[in-house]
Amino acid sequence: MATTPTPLEVRNIKKRFGDTEVLKGLSLEAHKGDVITLIGASGSGKSTFLRCMNLLEQPDEGELIVHGDPIRFKQTRQGREPADKKQVVAMRAKLSMVFQSFNLWAHMTLLENIIEAPVHVLGQSKKEATEHAYALLERVGLTARAKAHPAQMSGGQQQRGAIARALAMDPDVMLFDEPTSALDPELVGDVLKVMRDLAKEGRTMIVVTHEMNFARDVSSQVIYLQEGLIEESGTPAEVLDNPRSPRLKQFLTPNH
Amino acid sequence: MFDLSTWYHELLDDNAIFTPATMAHYWEGLVTTTQLVFLSLVVGLVLAVPLAILRSSKRKWISLPIYAYTYVFRGTPLLIQLYIIYYGVVFFDGIQESFLWPVFRDAFYPALIAFTLNTAAYTTEIFRGAIKATAKGEIEAARAYGMSESLMMRRIVIPSAFRRALPAYGNEVIFMLHASAIASVVTLMDLTGAARYVYSRFYTPFEPFLFVALIYLCLTFAILFFFRFLEKRLLAHLSSPSL
Amino acid sequence: MLDLQGYGPRLFEGALVTVELAALSLGLAIILGLITATAKMSRSWLLRRVAGVYTTLIRGVPDLVLMMLLFYGGQIGVNAISDVLLYDYDIDIYISFNAFAAGVLTIGFIFGAYMGETFRGAFMAVDAGQIEAGKAYGMGSALLFRRVRFPQMMRHALPGLSNNWMVLLKTTALVSVIGLTDMVRVAAEASRATHEPFVFLIPVAVAYLLIASVTEWIFARLQKRYDIGFGEH
Repeated sequence: MATTPTPLEVRNIKKRFGDTEVLKGLSLEAHKGDVITLIGASGSGKSTFLRCMNLLEQPDEGELIVHGDPIRFKQTRQGREPADKKQVVAMRAKLSMVFQSFNLWAHMTLLENIIEAPVHVLGQSKKEATEHAYALLERVGLTARAKAHPAQMSGGQQQRGAIARALAMDPDVMLFDEPTSALDPELVGDVLKVMRDLAKEGRTMIVVTHEMNFARDVSSQVIYLQEGLIEESGTPAEVLDNPRSPRLKQFLTPNH
Repeated sequence: MFDLSTWYHELLDDNAIFTPATMAHYWEGLVTTTQLVFLSLVVGLVLAVPLAILRSSKRKWISLPIYAYTYVFRGTPLLIQLYIIYYGVVFFDGIQESFLWPVFRDAFYPALIAFTLNTAAYTTEIFRGAIKATAKGEIEAARAYGMSESLMMRRIVIPSAFRRALPAYGNEVIFMLHASAIASVVTLMDLTGAARYVYSRFYTPFEPFLFVALIYLCLTFAILFFFRFLEKRLLAHLSSPSL
Repeated sequence: MLDLQGYGPRLFEGALVTVELAALSLGLAIILGLITATAKMSRSWLLRRVAGVYTTLIRGVPDLVLMMLLFYGGQIGVNAISDVLLYDYDIDIYISFNAFAAGVLTIGFIFGAYMGETFRGAFMAVDAGQIEAGKAYGMGSALLFRRVRFPQMMRHALPGLSNNWMVLLKTTALVSVIGLTDMVRVAAEASRATHEPFVFLIPVAVAYLLIASVTEWIFARLQKRYDIGFGEH
């Protein structure tokens, strides 16, 4: 039996901003059903790493392989760039990102937000996309807010709506960039619950987060980043319960 | 060998466009344009300050007529205003018999009046905006120190409004310079008029219009730098402290 | 009752010329403005430079001078082209120099520079996260422009757009000077012929105010539409 190719493979990503090297050679492999959480102090490079995975940031070095298909790069005067824009667009359509600040399109209603990319990027019919959208809205508990604009919704509602938007793409891998960091504490629970459900049903997810309990409960792999390098990586039991490096130990100590 | 001086002379001999005669026309045009723009701006400014104060009045019967004036003059083309004054001036009773007639028969004064009324309308609104934008705290402070309304206007509101209005007024000055080009339409020999004259004589549009375009461009930059300099001097207190 | 002494129909035709000229020039100015704004924000040094020179030159020279330059120069250019076609290629076609088209091109070209500044500011005001979300969901640059950047930019651009439109509308009066029969030209001719300037010029002035009021209302409606989703401001 042929093995299905890995949905996302990242090899030796390096990135510098000016004189500072923020990513010093990072790799990971997301197999189907994996939930990989990236943890680390602010400035450790975890968000930049995630944003390199769908090329919102251009890595200076390294490879991205989506379903066994490596992204092609070319060298320009400004630095390295993807050689084929169409390939990038197709790749991004398979990876959905959920942002820290939601980034729902402000001029569209929640429903319009959800069907936007399925209709215009994937080419689904409006009817089909709308039906799917309502099913997703019910999942995240926002059926009543379908016609609301993002500005009329709470942060928690916006983030659940943004997750519905991501799911509407039927993505192979979901990327979460600190999805609860911009939320008031009492709204975090609802968002995390939706994410736990997604993990349980076998979604492939890569999550940058500060929520250690969430990481412990759902992760198949936890990666601790320190100054642009992977300091420790393994199961939650290995990384979170038996940290070896002193810096990770310090990071995990409450009120560090 | 290439002889520079022969080449130079041949160029000049062939050149009917940039001769002493046409240069005199351009010079006359520059003088007329400068006079028109400068005089209308000065008189317009003098008119605009009291008008802006009245326009800021809370009493409707004072502010409304002034608003009507600025609305009409800002809402219609300057060319129409110029035509109305230029063609209409003969209809003022007795003007043709009065000592003023030689003055008004010349297109210069109708143009000056039209430009003045036009710039006064724009400037009034610029100042009104600046007066309206006076910080509440400054007004409260003036009241708290027992200033009367008129003293407060004179000492606090107007000086700060002047400074705030400066960038917008700089744009108005440039706008007026450019708008003055229509003086040539009523036979005035301003810069544009000079270019039109040379064009009609030699039927070559590029040299005369590019030449005056260049002069206007230089004047525009001169105004721009002047106002930038003024802003730097007068608005220094508003910018963040420089190190 | 206002006696237009038989000039009524011609004035009305002139008014139509004014409105058509203004509307078409606006369309061209918007297109040129979008191109200029894109060029100004592009990564190419050359494009930024060209756009910069275009806006600086246009804004430093009176509209009337530019108009005469493009108008009279264009006329000569068209003649030169037809001469070359006739003598060098033996093609005898009469290219007519259409004054109306020249007016639209000239005013559109002038106001494209002003629109460029307006649009550039408006594009910069769009929240970067909104654009990132579009990219992250697989939108190519054309789709992203149409579905996210343009609709979000418009609410920032509309006040400036409306302002430019009001100036453009008044600028159309200048075409009467170079031979287009808009309502100003008809009114000026009638004034000279009848020695009754107020009868013709004041209604034309009122017509400008009327057009301005109607379009102001349209712009207010558009603003409301593009403000949806952003709350009051």
